[in-house]
Amino acid sequence: MPARRLPEAAEAGGARVRFTFDGRRYEGIEGEPVAVSLLAAGRLTLSRSFRFHRPRGLMCSTGECGWCECEVEGRPSVRTCRVRLRDGMAVRGEHAWPSVEHDLLRALDLGSRLVPPTFYHHRFLRPRRLRKAYLDVLRWFGGRGRLRRGMPMDWHVPRALQRDEADVLVVGGGRAGLLAAIGAADGGGRVVVLEADAEIDPDLRDLVTQARSLGVDVRLGTMATGWYGGMVTAMDDSSLWEIRAGAVISATGTYDLVPGVPGADRPGVMSARLVGRLLARDGVLPAERVILVGQGQESESVAVALAEAGARVIGPIATASLSGIGGRGPVSWVRYQDPQGARVTTRERVDLVVFGDRTPNLDLVLAAGAAVGWEDGRIDAQVAADGRTTVAGLFLVGDGRELSHRNGPSDQEVGRAAAAHARRTRENVASGEVGGGPTPTIRAGNPARSPARGLAPARGPAGAMVCFCEDVRGWEIEAELAAGYSDPELVKRRTGALTGPCQGKYCLVAVTCAMSGLEATDRDQTVVLPTGRPPLRPIRLGDLVVADGSIEPIAPTPAPDMVP
Amino acid sequence: MGRRTVAKSLGETVPPVSAEVVIVGGGIAGLAIARELVALGLTDIVIVERGYPGSGATGRNVARIRAMQLTEELTHVAVACQDKYDRMGDELGFNVLFYRLGYAWVLYENEEVERMRDIVAMHRRAGVRSALLSPDDTLRRLPILLGGDPVAGAVLNDDAIVHHDAVVWAHLEYLAGRGVRLLAGTTVQGVSIDDGGVTGVQTDRGRISTPVVVNAAGGWSGELNALAGVVAPNRPYRREVLVTAPLRRSIDAAITFYRPTEGWFNQTLRGEVVMGVVDPNEPAGVQQASTPAFLRRTAALVTQKAPALANATVIRQWAGMYDVSPDHLPLVGPTQQLGGWWQANGWSGRGMLLAPYLVELLATQVASGHQHPRLQMFDPDRFPPEVSTAESAHDYYARYAAR
Repeated sequence: MPARRLPEAAEAGGARVRFTFDGRRYEGIEGEPVAVSLLAAGRLTLSRSFRFHRPRGLMCSTGECGWCECEVEGRPSVRTCRVRLRDGMAVRGEHAWPSVEHDLLRALDLGSRLVPPTFYHHRFLRPRRLRKAYLDVLRWFGGRGRLRRGMPMDWHVPRALQRDEADVLVVGGGRAGLLAAIGAADGGGRVVVLEADAEIDPDLRDLVTQARSLGVDVRLGTMATGWYGGMVTAMDDSSLWEIRAGAVISATGTYDLVPGVPGADRPGVMSARLVGRLLARDGVLPAERVILVGQGQESESVAVALAEAGARVIGPIATASLSGIGGRGPVSWVRYQDPQGARVTTRERVDLVVFGDRTPNLDLVLAAGAAVGWEDGRIDAQVAADGRTTVAGLFLVGDGRELSHRNGPSDQEVGRAAAAHARRTRENVASGEVGGGPTPTIRAGNPARSPARGLAPARGPAGAMVCFCEDVRGWEIEAELAAGYSDPELVKRRTGALTGPCQGKYCLVAVTCAMSGLEATDRDQTVVLPTGRPPLRPIRLGDLVVADGSIEPIAPTPAPDMVP
Repeated sequence: MGRRTVAKSLGETVPPVSAEVVIVGGGIAGLAIARELVALGLTDIVIVERGYPGSGATGRNVARIRAMQLTEELTHVAVACQDKYDRMGDELGFNVLFYRLGYAWVLYENEEVERMRDIVAMHRRAGVRSALLSPDDTLRRLPILLGGDPVAGAVLNDDAIVHHDAVVWAHLEYLAGRGVRLLAGTTVQGVSIDDGGVTGVQTDRGRISTPVVVNAAGGWSGELNALAGVVAPNRPYRREVLVTAPLRRSIDAAITFYRPTEGWFNQTLRGEVVMGVVDPNEPAGVQQASTPAFLRRTAALVTQKAPALANATVIRQWAGMYDVSPDHLPLVGPTQQLGGWWQANGWSGRGMLLAPYLVELLATQVASGHQHPRLQMFDPDRFPPEVSTAESAHDYYARYAAR
């Protein structure tokens, strides 16, 4: 059964407007995310994966996974979960022929077993006169979005470049970020909070009011875009920001952790966070027959909401018991182990797999080069008792920390520690001393097993997709290690894992697991990851243009560390 | 197809007591010279690499294999270098994706156009199929420039790109199959000298005795020269790059321009657009951090030249080192300052292009003692002692005006 709008939402909703997808006309509600309109209109498949043209649909709704990318109004690869529907909008599928729904290039996926990322290395050299033709064909298969010339530049209003200084900068204006900011404001310094969403979550209105009353500068609609040696860059509708702070607190929450089984990238596999939003905010029930996988903070409430909306819910089943998700295109069955240990395939059709697992958002931590460790199937930052990471001046609060450091300090206490750090740094700079005071010791994990010795199986079956942007499967990483490419950077380059548009946000755990020979049950292991590179998220080139248009003088190179 | 492995070569962690040749640097220059020495029958070779193979500029460049040069002698060399890449797939049994994408030098001032008339004639004499295009033809061949700064013309030819990582892997497979050892994650900390000649290198994993050291350390070659007491004028400079999410084929040549300042962009075979605008005031020094100013600078200038690219999505940026010599030509050969010390550095941003061919000539010289006439212009000791890279002109054209 396809998705449907819930009756009460259908009545209360905004104006109905028309839009087109691949030339066909649909109706949606003005102002809702385009991806939601498409889902409610029964369009489950929104994009095709880069290498094998696997169907992909709405999965996370945070604007980070890229599975909902379509061409919108002539603009390539727009994440439709973050764009509001307007009357007459023209949306097109990309990277498919003849259409995203029925893509004949899907045939590539059927033969994908024969096409590792290295398949061209010893092929296409002969006959010599066809060499260029081979690569012309290869080039035709590449690409994704279409650049249309003559598009209006008014999408890219040049921005002003602004520089700012703060004692404490909090990246992420969720509950944890606001609490940390309130704690930091106790110290009397200047505290700035960056929140990408332009609207305040109704549940957080009181906290925002409280923070603002303490003098905290809460900036909505401001997205952090990079970490450059301690300086944080950000972007809002009118400005590009460079913000220097005595201490930075990462309060960026979590990413959804897609189950590590074959077929987990099919349309109809959705995070509990997304399904919760669809039901509560958008009034859309994505499907009638649902199976719940894993435990997460929303899993229970989502199960209740699904049942109330009339869905039939199976589970929750443990993530570890899941072994496959199948169907022709979108999800139609799930294979798992029942509590007795027997392997079960769902007999009746399942339309929707809702998974609840999360993994910390370590974007800032990794960009800063702070140490991380492997803990129970997740990658965690190594943090001290007061919430600081191994990079001086970078602190961590919220879900990103609490997933595995539940007994740590409160978010407010971390905020106070960050403010104290910033104050000490400032005083030391004033008095000519170096450093930000004593650094508490941080428990370092054991070094991970060398991948050269003993290859552990990748998380889940080797056929599972570990990197979704580049369609890399577990066995491909194992093959590279076995061939002697033992450095994570070499594996990354050989397979393409971690190099796609999500830059590791949705594959870091699985790729690291496969690269380091770790298993989900391993604990307390230090892992070596390939270098994290800016920006923190994709940015349109036109959005980086500064108003005066001139080639600006070059700012001095940022120091490798933020603390003098 | 049998599974090919590099484990035998890359798995080394303990340096041998001695080697016939120690190559410092596992980038394109170091790997290529090892390959050429092997071809000449030397196999007792150790490559010492501080990171992983290709971790320096070799893994950070965009691998344009450009014959379009400004002087006749360099054009001849570049043509030979391009041929070397064209043959590489056959010679190493590995497809390095050598692809004649085309190369467009886009001109924005009439003064540039006038200068290029003679250059194009010179290209033709040297066998490079360049053509000087009118403004209309430029836009017809490169529609990505429509709506951008008015062009004065372009020089277009059929220059190539390769896959830089594939070049590294091709060499690794070849070397691993022939017993060459590569010590990754190993840093040279000292050089032993006796009687005016090198006798060994001290690494953080142990000492290796050797009568021959090749300095193929790219941006770090100055540090290595200093350990040996060798003076060379090349200095490292940062260059930054950004890459976008893949797009359908929309740019049909690798584009470079030098007005108002140096910048470039092109599409890879996968469809990503790589681009950069050079900071003319970049200070010397090893510095591989990325900057936000680079993103803004590149966005401003590239969207000015090719407005449609405003809609491309930047997904990643990085920086690498140019090892720049005063005349922007590499140092390839033995130095008179120290016996057994060979330079293969100072590539000045042309290492991917020049190294495989020039180190082929260098390897012959290492093995036979005879210098190939083409290497004369790259003699490491050609600079007067007081010359420095800082004195050389920043304007691309002016660098070559004197010759």
